[in-house]
Amino acid sequence: MNANRIITALIMILRMLLRRRIILIALLVIPVVFLTIVELTAPTRFIPFRLASLDTSVLIRESLKKIALIFFAVTSSGFLVSLLALNLIQIENDVNRRLVICGYNPFELLISNLLALLLMILTIAVYIGLLVSAFVSVMHLPMFIFGLMLIGFVYGCYGLAIGSLIKGKLEGVFFIVMLANIDSGWLQNPMYYAEAHNNVVIRYLPAYFPSQSAIIAAFTDFSGTWPRFYSILYGTGFLILALLIFYNKMRIKK
Amino acid sequence: MILKVENISKAFGKNKVLKNVSFEMNSSLLYGIVGENGSGKSTLLKIIVGEWKPDHGNILVEGRVGYCPQKTLLFSQLTVDENLKYFAAAYEMGNAELFSRSESLMNVFNFKKYRKERIANLSGGTQQKLNLAISLLHQPKLLILDEPYNGFDWDTYLRFWDYTNQLRKEGCAILVVTHFLAEKDRFDKVFNLEEGELI
Repeated sequence: MNANRIITALIMILRMLLRRRIILIALLVIPVVFLTIVELTAPTRFIPFRLASLDTSVLIRESLKKIALIFFAVTSSGFLVSLLALNLIQIENDVNRRLVICGYNPFELLISNLLALLLMILTIAVYIGLLVSAFVSVMHLPMFIFGLMLIGFVYGCYGLAIGSLIKGKLEGVFFIVMLANIDSGWLQNPMYYAEAHNNVVIRYLPAYFPSQSAIIAAFTDFSGTWPRFYSILYGTGFLILALLIFYNKMRIKK
Repeated sequence: MILKVENISKAFGKNKVLKNVSFEMNSSLLYGIVGENGSGKSTLLKIIVGEWKPDHGNILVEGRVGYCPQKTLLFSQLTVDENLKYFAAAYEMGNAELFSRSESLMNVFNFKKYRKERIANLSGGTQQKLNLAISLLHQPKLLILDEPYNGFDWDTYLRFWDYTNQLRKEGCAILVVTHFLAEKDRFDKVFNLEEGELI
Protein backbone atom coordinates (compact mmCIF):
# COMPACT_ATOMS: atom_id res chain seq x y z
CA MET A 1 0.00 0.00 0.00
CA ASN A 2 1.33 3.39 -1.01
CA ALA A 3 -0.16 6.63 0.41
CA ASN A 4 1.02 8.71 -2.56
CA ARG A 5 -0.79 6.43 -5.00
CA ILE A 6 -3.98 6.53 -2.91
CA ILE A 7 -3.90 10.35 -2.71
CA THR A 8 -3.19 10.71 -6.45
CA ALA A 9 -6.05 8.33 -7.29
CA LEU A 10 -8.39 10.17 -4.90
CA ILE A 11 -7.60 13.54 -6.52
CA MET A 12 -8.12 12.13 -10.01
CA ILE A 13 -11.37 10.37 -9.07
CA LEU A 14 -12.76 13.60 -7.57
CA ARG A 15 -11.75 15.56 -10.66
CA MET A 16 -13.46 13.03 -12.94
CA LEU A 17 -16.55 13.10 -10.76
CA LEU A 18 -16.81 16.88 -10.64
CA ARG A 19 -16.37 17.10 -14.41
CA ARG A 20 -19.51 15.05 -15.02
CA ARG A 21 -22.08 17.82 -14.95
CA ILE A 22 -25.08 15.53 -15.10
CA ILE A 23 -24.04 13.93 -11.80
CA LEU A 24 -23.69 17.28 -10.08
CA ILE A 25 -27.02 18.45 -11.43
CA ALA A 26 -28.72 15.23 -10.24
CA LEU A 27 -27.17 15.60 -6.79
CA LEU A 28 -28.42 19.16 -6.48
CA VAL A 29 -31.82 18.82 -8.11
CA ILE A 30 -33.20 15.41 -7.02
CA PRO A 31 -33.48 16.22 -3.27
CA VAL A 32 -35.04 19.61 -4.00
CA VAL A 33 -37.62 18.00 -6.33
CA PHE A 34 -38.42 15.19 -3.85
CA LEU A 35 -38.88 17.53 -0.91
CA THR A 36 -40.82 20.18 -2.85
CA ILE A 37 -43.30 17.57 -4.08
CA VAL A 38 -43.76 16.31 -0.51
CA GLU A 39 -44.17 19.86 0.78
CA LEU A 40 -46.84 20.57 -1.84
CA THR A 41 -48.77 17.31 -1.54
CA ALA A 42 -48.46 15.80 1.95
CA PRO A 43 -51.35 16.32 4.41
CA THR A 44 -50.67 18.27 7.60
CA ARG A 45 -52.79 16.30 10.08
CA PHE A 46 -51.06 14.81 13.10
CA ILE A 47 -50.88 11.06 13.65
CA PRO A 48 -49.35 8.86 16.35
CA PHE A 49 -46.77 6.21 15.41
CA ARG A 50 -44.19 3.92 16.99
CA LEU A 51 -40.55 3.46 16.02
CA ALA A 52 -39.40 -0.13 15.74
CA SER A 53 -36.08 0.34 17.52
CA LEU A 54 -37.65 2.12 20.52
CA ASP A 55 -39.69 0.69 23.33
CA THR A 56 -43.29 -0.12 22.30
CA SER A 57 -44.65 2.28 24.95
CA VAL A 58 -43.07 5.22 23.13
CA LEU A 59 -45.68 6.85 20.94
CA ILE A 60 -44.63 9.77 18.75
CA ARG A 61 -47.15 12.30 17.47
CA GLU A 62 -46.14 14.22 14.38
CA SER A 63 -47.66 15.73 11.23
CA LEU A 64 -47.79 13.49 8.17
CA LYS A 65 -45.98 16.17 6.20
CA LYS A 66 -43.03 16.24 8.59
CA ILE A 67 -42.81 12.44 8.65
CA ALA A 68 -42.86 12.35 4.85
CA LEU A 69 -40.18 15.06 4.53
CA ILE A 70 -37.83 13.28 6.93
CA PHE A 71 -38.49 9.93 5.30
CA PHE A 72 -37.86 11.24 1.77
CA ALA A 73 -34.66 12.95 2.92
CA VAL A 74 -33.42 9.55 4.10
CA THR A 75 -34.55 7.83 0.90
CA SER A 76 -32.99 10.38 -1.46
CA SER A 77 -29.72 10.35 0.47
CA GLY A 78 -29.38 6.56 0.18
CA PHE A 79 -30.50 6.44 -3.43
CA LEU A 80 -28.15 9.20 -4.62
CA VAL A 81 -25.11 7.82 -2.85
CA SER A 82 -25.67 4.28 -4.15
CA LEU A 83 -25.95 5.55 -7.73
CA LEU A 84 -22.82 7.61 -7.25
CA ALA A 85 -20.95 4.60 -5.85
CA LEU A 86 -22.03 2.49 -8.80
CA ASN A 87 -20.80 5.17 -11.18
CA LEU A 88 -17.48 5.45 -9.33
CA ILE A 89 -16.71 1.76 -9.43
CA GLN A 90 -18.00 0.94 -12.92
CA ILE A 91 -16.76 3.87 -14.95
CA GLU A 92 -13.41 3.47 -16.76
CA ASN A 93 -13.04 -0.05 -15.38
CA ASP A 94 -10.71 -1.11 -18.22
CA VAL A 95 -8.43 1.85 -17.55
CA ASN A 96 -8.36 1.01 -13.85
CA ARG A 97 -7.23 -2.47 -14.85
CA ARG A 98 -4.42 -0.92 -16.88
CA LEU A 99 -3.40 1.02 -13.77
CA VAL A 100 -3.20 -2.28 -11.88
CA ILE A 101 -1.04 -3.79 -14.64
CA CYS A 102 1.22 -0.71 -14.36
CA GLY A 103 1.65 -1.16 -10.60
CA TYR A 104 -1.41 -0.03 -8.65
CA ASN A 105 -2.70 -2.42 -6.02
CA PRO A 106 -6.47 -3.05 -6.49
CA PHE A 107 -6.94 -2.22 -2.79
CA GLU A 108 -5.33 1.20 -3.33
CA LEU A 109 -7.85 1.95 -6.06
CA LEU A 110 -10.78 0.74 -3.99
CA ILE A 111 -9.65 2.74 -0.96
CA SER A 112 -9.38 5.86 -3.15
CA ASN A 113 -12.89 5.22 -4.45
CA LEU A 114 -14.12 4.72 -0.91
CA LEU A 115 -12.51 7.95 0.29
CA ALA A 116 -14.08 9.83 -2.63
CA LEU A 117 -17.41 8.23 -1.74
CA LEU A 118 -17.09 9.21 1.94
CA LEU A 119 -16.49 12.83 0.93
CA MET A 120 -19.57 12.71 -1.29
CA ILE A 121 -21.61 11.03 1.49
CA LEU A 122 -20.68 13.86 3.86
CA THR A 123 -21.51 16.53 1.26
CA ILE A 124 -24.84 14.96 0.31
CA ALA A 125 -25.87 14.38 3.95
CA VAL A 126 -25.07 17.96 4.97
CA TYR A 127 -26.81 19.35 1.87
CA ILE A 128 -29.98 17.28 2.33
CA GLY A 129 -29.98 17.80 6.10
CA LEU A 130 -29.84 21.58 5.73
CA LEU A 131 -32.39 21.46 2.93
CA VAL A 132 -34.87 19.53 5.10
CA SER A 133 -34.34 21.89 8.00
CA ALA A 134 -35.47 24.70 5.68
CA PHE A 135 -38.82 22.89 5.31
CA VAL A 136 -39.34 21.56 8.87
CA SER A 137 -37.71 21.82 12.27
CA VAL A 138 -35.52 18.80 13.04
CA MET A 139 -35.06 18.01 16.73
CA HIS A 140 -31.37 17.05 16.61
CA LEU A 141 -30.00 18.25 13.29
CA PRO A 142 -26.34 17.07 13.67
CA MET A 143 -27.45 13.55 14.62
CA PHE A 144 -30.05 13.58 11.85
CA ILE A 145 -27.30 14.49 9.36
CA PHE A 146 -25.24 11.67 10.83
CA GLY A 147 -28.19 9.35 10.17
CA LEU A 148 -28.21 10.52 6.54
CA MET A 149 -24.50 9.78 6.38
CA LEU A 150 -25.19 6.28 7.68
CA ILE A 151 -27.81 5.54 5.02
CA GLY A 152 -25.29 6.94 2.52
CA PHE A 153 -22.60 4.65 3.89
CA VAL A 154 -24.77 1.51 3.81
CA TYR A 155 -26.22 2.21 0.37
CA GLY A 156 -22.90 3.53 -0.96
CA CYS A 157 -21.16 0.30 0.00
CA TYR A 158 -24.08 -1.62 -1.56
CA GLY A 159 -23.49 0.39 -4.76
CA LEU A 160 -19.77 -0.45 -4.63
CA ALA A 161 -20.57 -4.15 -4.21
CA ILE A 162 -23.09 -4.14 -7.07
CA GLY A 163 -20.71 -2.15 -9.30
CA SER A 164 -17.88 -4.59 -8.56
CA LEU A 165 -20.08 -7.59 -9.27
CA ILE A 166 -22.00 -6.44 -12.34
CA LYS A 167 -20.35 -5.06 -15.47
CA GLY A 168 -23.42 -3.66 -17.23
CA LYS A 169 -24.46 -0.14 -16.25
CA LEU A 170 -28.16 -0.71 -16.83
CA GLU A 171 -28.20 -3.92 -14.79
CA GLY A 172 -26.34 -2.14 -11.97
CA VAL A 173 -28.84 0.74 -11.94
CA PHE A 174 -31.68 -1.79 -11.94
CA PHE A 175 -30.36 -3.53 -8.80
CA ILE A 176 -29.95 -0.20 -7.03
CA VAL A 177 -33.32 1.24 -8.01
CA MET A 178 -35.03 -2.03 -7.10
CA LEU A 179 -33.60 -2.20 -3.57
CA ALA A 180 -33.79 1.55 -2.90
CA ASN A 181 -37.39 1.63 -4.05
CA ILE A 182 -38.56 -1.37 -2.03
CA ASP A 183 -36.40 -0.93 1.05
CA SER A 184 -35.66 2.72 1.82
CA GLY A 185 -38.44 4.10 -0.40
CA TRP A 186 -41.27 1.96 0.90
CA LEU A 187 -40.78 -0.62 3.66
CA GLN A 188 -38.84 1.65 6.02
CA ASN A 189 -41.54 4.31 6.00
CA PRO A 190 -42.71 4.38 9.65
CA MET A 191 -46.30 4.66 8.44
CA TYR A 192 -46.04 1.40 6.50
CA TYR A 193 -43.70 -0.29 8.92
CA ALA A 194 -45.94 0.17 11.98
CA GLU A 195 -48.74 -1.84 10.36
CA ALA A 196 -46.60 -4.46 8.56
CA HIS A 197 -47.40 -8.11 9.34
CA ASN A 198 -43.87 -9.43 8.97
CA ASN A 199 -41.67 -6.63 10.18
CA VAL A 200 -38.87 -9.10 11.01
CA VAL A 201 -38.08 -9.15 7.28
CA ILE A 202 -37.96 -5.36 7.21
CA ARG A 203 -35.50 -5.29 10.12
CA TYR A 204 -32.94 -7.23 8.07
CA LEU A 205 -33.01 -4.90 5.08
CA PRO A 206 -30.08 -2.46 4.61
CA ALA A 207 -32.00 0.77 5.18
CA TYR A 208 -33.57 -0.32 8.48
CA PHE A 209 -30.89 0.75 10.97
CA PRO A 210 -29.84 4.02 9.27
CA SER A 211 -33.51 5.01 8.75
CA GLN A 212 -34.23 4.35 12.42
CA SER A 213 -31.15 6.32 13.42
CA ALA A 214 -32.15 9.36 11.32
CA ILE A 215 -35.84 9.26 12.35
CA ILE A 216 -35.01 8.90 16.07
CA ALA A 217 -32.76 11.98 15.82
CA ALA A 218 -35.38 13.95 13.89
CA PHE A 219 -38.35 13.24 16.20
CA THR A 220 -37.16 12.20 19.65
CA ASP A 221 -34.62 12.76 22.41
CA PHE A 222 -33.82 9.06 22.57
CA SER A 223 -30.35 7.74 21.89
CA GLY A 224 -29.86 6.01 18.54
CA THR A 225 -26.57 4.37 19.45
CA TRP A 226 -27.52 0.80 18.54
CA PRO A 227 -29.07 1.61 15.16
CA ARG A 228 -25.95 3.66 14.38
CA PHE A 229 -23.68 0.82 15.40
CA TYR A 230 -25.59 -1.74 13.34
CA SER A 231 -25.66 0.63 10.35
CA ILE A 232 -21.87 0.81 10.37
CA LEU A 233 -21.72 -2.96 10.73
CA TYR A 234 -24.12 -3.48 7.81
CA GLY A 235 -22.23 -1.04 5.58
CA THR A 236 -18.92 -2.66 6.49
CA GLY A 237 -20.32 -6.03 5.41
CA PHE A 238 -21.14 -4.64 1.97
CA LEU A 239 -17.75 -2.95 1.85
CA ILE A 240 -15.89 -6.20 2.56
CA LEU A 241 -17.93 -7.92 -0.13
CA ALA A 242 -17.09 -5.12 -2.58
CA LEU A 243 -13.39 -5.32 -1.65
CA LEU A 244 -13.25 -9.06 -2.28
CA ILE A 245 -15.07 -8.92 -5.62
CA PHE A 246 -13.12 -5.87 -6.84
CA TYR A 247 -9.78 -7.38 -5.82
CA ASN A 248 -10.58 -10.67 -7.51
CA LYS A 249 -11.57 -8.93 -10.75
CA MET A 250 -8.69 -6.46 -10.81
CA ARG A 251 -5.72 -8.48 -9.62
CA ILE A 252 -3.17 -9.45 -12.21
CA LYS A 253 -2.78 -13.17 -12.73
CA LYS A 254 0.94 -13.77 -12.23
CA MET B 1 17.40 -12.99 -21.18
CA ILE B 2 14.61 -10.52 -20.38
CA LEU B 3 11.52 -12.60 -21.13
CA LYS B 4 11.01 -16.34 -21.18
CA VAL B 5 7.68 -17.75 -22.32
CA GLU B 6 7.37 -21.48 -21.57
CA ASN B 7 4.67 -23.74 -23.05
CA ILE B 8 1.82 -21.26 -22.76
CA SER B 9 -1.62 -22.61 -23.58
CA LYS B 10 -4.94 -20.84 -23.34
CA ALA B 11 -8.44 -21.87 -24.33
CA PHE B 12 -11.78 -20.07 -24.18
CA GLY B 13 -14.29 -22.86 -23.89
CA LYS B 14 -13.47 -25.34 -26.65
CA ASN B 15 -11.57 -22.74 -28.67
CA LYS B 16 -7.82 -23.29 -28.13
CA VAL B 17 -6.36 -19.83 -28.71
CA LEU B 18 -2.73 -20.60 -27.75
CA LYS B 19 -1.05 -24.02 -28.02
CA ASN B 20 2.25 -24.58 -26.19
CA VAL B 21 3.79 -21.26 -27.18
CA SER B 22 7.44 -20.88 -26.12
CA PHE B 23 10.04 -18.24 -26.93
CA GLU B 24 12.69 -16.03 -25.33
CA MET B 25 13.60 -12.37 -25.67
CA ASN B 26 16.94 -10.70 -25.06
CA SER B 27 17.90 -7.07 -24.54
CA SER B 28 18.69 -4.72 -27.45
CA LEU B 29 16.57 -6.68 -29.89
CA LEU B 30 13.34 -5.86 -31.69
CA TYR B 31 10.89 -8.74 -32.01
CA GLY B 32 7.75 -8.92 -34.04
CA ILE B 33 4.71 -11.15 -33.72
CA VAL B 34 2.78 -11.40 -36.95
CA GLY B 35 -0.39 -13.27 -37.61
CA GLU B 36 -3.87 -12.92 -38.94
CA ASN B 37 -6.79 -11.58 -36.94
CA GLY B 38 -7.78 -14.08 -34.28
CA SER B 39 -4.44 -15.92 -34.36
CA GLY B 40 -3.91 -15.33 -30.62
CA LYS B 41 -1.49 -12.36 -30.72
CA SER B 42 -3.33 -10.10 -28.27
CA THR B 43 -4.13 -13.04 -25.98
CA LEU B 44 -0.44 -13.87 -25.78
CA LEU B 45 0.44 -10.28 -24.87
CA LYS B 46 -2.28 -10.12 -22.23
CA ILE B 47 -0.88 -13.26 -20.67
CA ILE B 48 2.68 -11.88 -20.74
CA VAL B 49 1.66 -8.68 -18.91
CA GLY B 50 -0.46 -10.61 -16.41
CA GLU B 51 -3.89 -9.42 -17.50
CA TRP B 52 -5.00 -12.99 -18.17
CA LYS B 53 -3.86 -16.24 -16.62
CA PRO B 54 -2.65 -19.03 -18.90
CA ASP B 55 -4.19 -22.51 -18.58
CA HIS B 56 -0.68 -24.00 -18.72
CA GLY B 57 2.88 -22.72 -18.82
CA ASN B 58 5.08 -20.08 -17.21
CA ILE B 59 6.23 -16.54 -17.90
CA LEU B 60 9.52 -15.24 -16.54
CA VAL B 61 10.21 -11.49 -16.79
CA GLU B 62 13.32 -9.55 -15.76
CA GLY B 63 12.95 -5.85 -15.03
CA ARG B 64 10.24 -3.29 -15.68
CA VAL B 65 7.62 -3.95 -18.33
CA GLY B 66 5.88 -1.34 -20.46
CA TYR B 67 2.61 -2.36 -22.11
CA CYS B 68 0.71 -0.50 -24.79
CA PRO B 69 -2.69 -2.16 -25.32
CA GLN B 70 -4.34 -2.24 -28.72
CA LYS B 71 -7.31 -0.28 -27.42
CA THR B 72 -6.58 3.23 -26.08
CA LEU B 73 -7.10 2.88 -22.33
CA LEU B 74 -7.11 6.41 -20.92
CA PHE B 75 -9.26 8.38 -18.47
CA SER B 76 -11.51 10.36 -20.80
CA GLN B 77 -12.44 13.06 -18.27
CA LEU B 78 -8.81 13.79 -17.36
CA THR B 79 -6.32 15.87 -19.34
CA VAL B 80 -3.17 14.53 -21.00
CA ASP B 81 -1.03 15.80 -18.10
CA GLU B 82 -3.38 14.28 -15.52
CA ASN B 83 -3.34 10.89 -17.24
CA LEU B 84 0.45 10.94 -17.29
CA LYS B 85 0.53 11.90 -13.60
CA TYR B 86 -1.93 9.13 -12.67
CA PHE B 87 0.10 6.45 -14.46
CA ALA B 88 3.36 7.89 -13.10
CA ALA B 89 1.94 7.24 -9.62
CA ALA B 90 1.34 3.62 -10.65
CA TYR B 91 5.01 3.41 -11.72
CA GLU B 92 6.06 5.14 -8.46
CA MET B 93 7.84 7.93 -10.34
CA GLY B 94 8.79 11.20 -8.64
CA ASN B 95 7.64 14.59 -9.93
CA ALA B 96 11.02 15.52 -11.43
CA GLU B 97 11.28 12.23 -13.32
CA LEU B 98 7.69 12.52 -14.50
CA PHE B 99 8.29 16.05 -15.74
CA SER B 100 11.44 15.20 -17.73
CA ARG B 101 10.02 11.96 -19.17
CA SER B 102 6.65 13.40 -20.14
CA GLU B 103 8.27 16.47 -21.74
CA SER B 104 10.59 14.21 -23.73
CA LEU B 105 7.80 11.86 -24.90
CA MET B 106 5.43 14.70 -25.77
CA ASN B 107 8.20 16.19 -27.93
CA VAL B 108 9.03 12.88 -29.62
CA PHE B 109 5.41 12.16 -30.53
CA ASN B 110 4.47 15.80 -31.01
CA PHE B 111 1.44 16.22 -28.77
CA LYS B 112 2.69 18.75 -26.23
CA LYS B 113 0.19 21.37 -27.36
CA TYR B 114 -2.66 19.13 -26.18
CA ARG B 115 -1.34 18.61 -22.65
CA LYS B 116 -4.15 20.60 -20.99
CA GLU B 117 -6.89 19.05 -23.13
CA ARG B 118 -9.24 16.36 -21.84
CA ILE B 119 -8.90 13.01 -23.60
CA ALA B 120 -12.54 13.07 -24.68
CA ASN B 121 -11.73 16.14 -26.82
CA LEU B 122 -8.69 14.63 -28.59
CA SER B 123 -8.51 12.87 -31.96
CA GLY B 124 -8.01 9.09 -32.06
CA GLY B 125 -4.42 9.52 -33.28
CA THR B 126 -3.47 11.86 -30.42
CA GLN B 127 -5.09 9.52 -27.92
CA GLN B 128 -3.01 6.69 -29.34
CA LYS B 129 0.18 8.77 -28.98
CA LEU B 130 -0.59 9.19 -25.28
CA ASN B 131 -1.53 5.51 -25.00
CA LEU B 132 1.94 4.67 -26.28
CA ALA B 133 3.71 7.37 -24.22
CA ILE B 134 2.24 5.91 -21.01
CA SER B 135 3.84 2.55 -21.74
CA LEU B 136 7.22 4.29 -22.21
CA LEU B 137 6.99 6.67 -19.26
CA HIS B 138 8.97 4.61 -16.72
CA GLN B 139 11.75 3.57 -19.16
CA PRO B 140 10.94 -0.15 -19.20
CA LYS B 141 13.47 -2.85 -19.98
CA LEU B 142 10.82 -4.87 -21.80
CA LEU B 143 8.33 -3.13 -24.04
CA ILE B 144 5.19 -4.93 -25.22
CA LEU B 145 3.30 -3.07 -27.94
CA ASP B 146 0.02 -4.30 -29.38
CA GLU B 147 -0.43 -2.61 -32.79
CA PRO B 148 0.80 0.66 -31.28
CA TYR B 149 0.56 2.87 -34.38
CA ASN B 150 -3.17 2.51 -35.11
CA GLY B 151 -4.40 5.95 -36.15
CA PHE B 152 -0.92 7.48 -36.51
CA ASP B 153 -0.24 9.78 -39.45
CA TRP B 154 2.74 8.92 -41.67
CA ASP B 155 5.13 11.31 -39.92
CA THR B 156 4.29 9.93 -36.46
CA TYR B 157 4.51 6.38 -37.80
CA LEU B 158 8.11 7.05 -38.93
CA ARG B 159 8.93 8.78 -35.62
CA PHE B 160 7.61 5.71 -33.84
CA TRP B 161 10.04 3.38 -35.67
CA ASP B 162 12.96 5.82 -35.17
CA TYR B 163 12.24 5.97 -31.47
CA THR B 164 11.85 2.19 -31.23
CA ASN B 165 15.25 1.74 -32.82
CA GLN B 166 16.73 4.25 -30.39
CA LEU B 167 15.27 2.31 -27.44
CA ARG B 168 16.70 -0.92 -28.83
CA LYS B 169 20.17 0.65 -28.97
CA GLU B 170 19.73 1.71 -25.33
CA GLY B 171 19.21 -1.93 -24.32
CA CYS B 172 15.44 -2.29 -24.36
CA ALA B 173 13.84 -5.52 -25.61
CA ILE B 174 10.79 -4.70 -27.70
CA LEU B 175 7.95 -6.92 -28.83
CA VAL B 176 5.60 -5.46 -31.42
CA VAL B 177 2.41 -7.14 -32.52
CA THR B 178 1.36 -6.39 -36.07
CA HIS B 179 -0.70 -7.92 -38.82
CA PHE B 180 1.24 -6.06 -41.53
CA LEU B 181 3.59 -8.58 -43.12
CA ALA B 182 5.34 -5.68 -44.90
CA GLU B 183 6.87 -4.66 -41.55
CA LYS B 184 8.72 -7.96 -41.14
CA ASP B 185 12.02 -6.42 -42.27
CA ARG B 186 12.04 -3.97 -39.38
CA PHE B 187 12.43 -6.73 -36.80
CA ASP B 188 15.52 -8.62 -35.63
CA LYS B 189 13.37 -11.67 -35.13
CA VAL B 190 9.83 -12.46 -36.22
CA PHE B 191 7.45 -14.92 -34.58
CA ASN B 192 4.67 -16.07 -36.84
CA LEU B 193 1.55 -17.03 -34.91
CA GLU B 194 -0.88 -19.23 -36.79
CA GLU B 195 -3.99 -20.57 -35.10
CA GLY B 196 -2.35 -20.31 -31.69
CA GLU B 197 0.97 -21.95 -32.65
CA LEU B 198 4.34 -20.32 -33.23
CA ILE B 199 5.66 -21.23 -36.66
